[in-house]
Amino acid sequence: MRTFLLALLGAGSGLIVNTLRPDRVDWTVAIANATCNATQLTVPIETVPINRAAALCASSGVLIADARDAERFAQGHIAGAVHLPCSTPGALLDAVPRLLASVDLVLVYADTTDAARPVAEGLRNRNAMAGLRVAVLEGGFEAWARAGQACLSGPCPRCQDTDLGTSHAH
Amino acid sequence: MRTRIFSFVWVLRLVLRLGLAGLFVVAGVLKLDDPSRFALEIANYQLFPVLAPFVAIGMPATEIVVGLGLVFLPKLWRQAAATLLAAMMAIFLFAVSSALVRNVNIDCGCFGGSESPIGPWTVVRNVVLLALALLVVWLERPRRTDERR
Repeated sequence: MRTFLLALLGAGSGLIVNTLRPDRVDWTVAIANATCNATQLTVPIETVPINRAAALCASSGVLIADARDAERFAQGHIAGAVHLPCSTPGALLDAVPRLLASVDLVLVYADTTDAARPVAEGLRNRNAMAGLRVAVLEGGFEAWARAGQACLSGPCPRCQDTDLGTSHAH
Repeated sequence: MRTRIFSFVWVLRLVLRLGLAGLFVVAGVLKLDDPSRFALEIANYQLFPVLAPFVAIGMPATEIVVGLGLVFLPKLWRQAAATLLAAMMAIFLFAVSSALVRNVNIDCGCFGGSESPIGPWTVVRNVVLLALALLVVWLERPRRTDERR
């Protein structure tokens, strides 16, 4: 009856609008991201030992991402690392794809290997279609610092570069 | 016997229609702003997350259609719009209650935003809106005095 027709009109116009717009929801990608047991996603995240990470550090196409909180990042982080804060408003969701645009490998680190894994998995799941490789630093920041590798302190410089935009009001 | 044009019921009906319609149209437009983000928010409710993109595609447009329909369409269509609005409110109510009961963290994750979190007042608000929508459905019921359709 009429209610159903109105619902159909709403769904239909939504579909048309979505297809026409550039920032559309790509539901094929979204489905892959939502179903966490797709076969491509059961491959465990690679762990990278410190010495190999140190070699990767300088290559373009590699992004080092810090998954700890802002305070710890400011106290000391791997040189050239980008901060992935957990408490920034959803604007970061837009910034991350932009950061990842020219990157083949994201090396995620936290305090320990295991702490970085869920963040790495999340990153990989969201970028499954882009063929992005995500790895975790073995031993985390502790191991890196202990090995005397290059560290910096201070806020995340590349976070200032990317235009994080305004948060969305809903 | 015709009722006077400014009867209480007539005013009530108009106020409810405009109020609910305005709410839904605004809500729909705001969601249209960032569909991918909206799809993520829906998925966070952990209720059939596979459906999230489809809901994100269909819901805002439906909200706008329902809102506009409630104001501009003839009587029987208005009742249909109000019914659909009530149905959507019932779904929202279920989703929010389900998330609260299961303690699902709606705005969790390193990439989620901490937006306005849902709470008991969200449930109350949805119940009130559902009741108002049902009231409009009843007010817009076809009467024997409307002979035209």
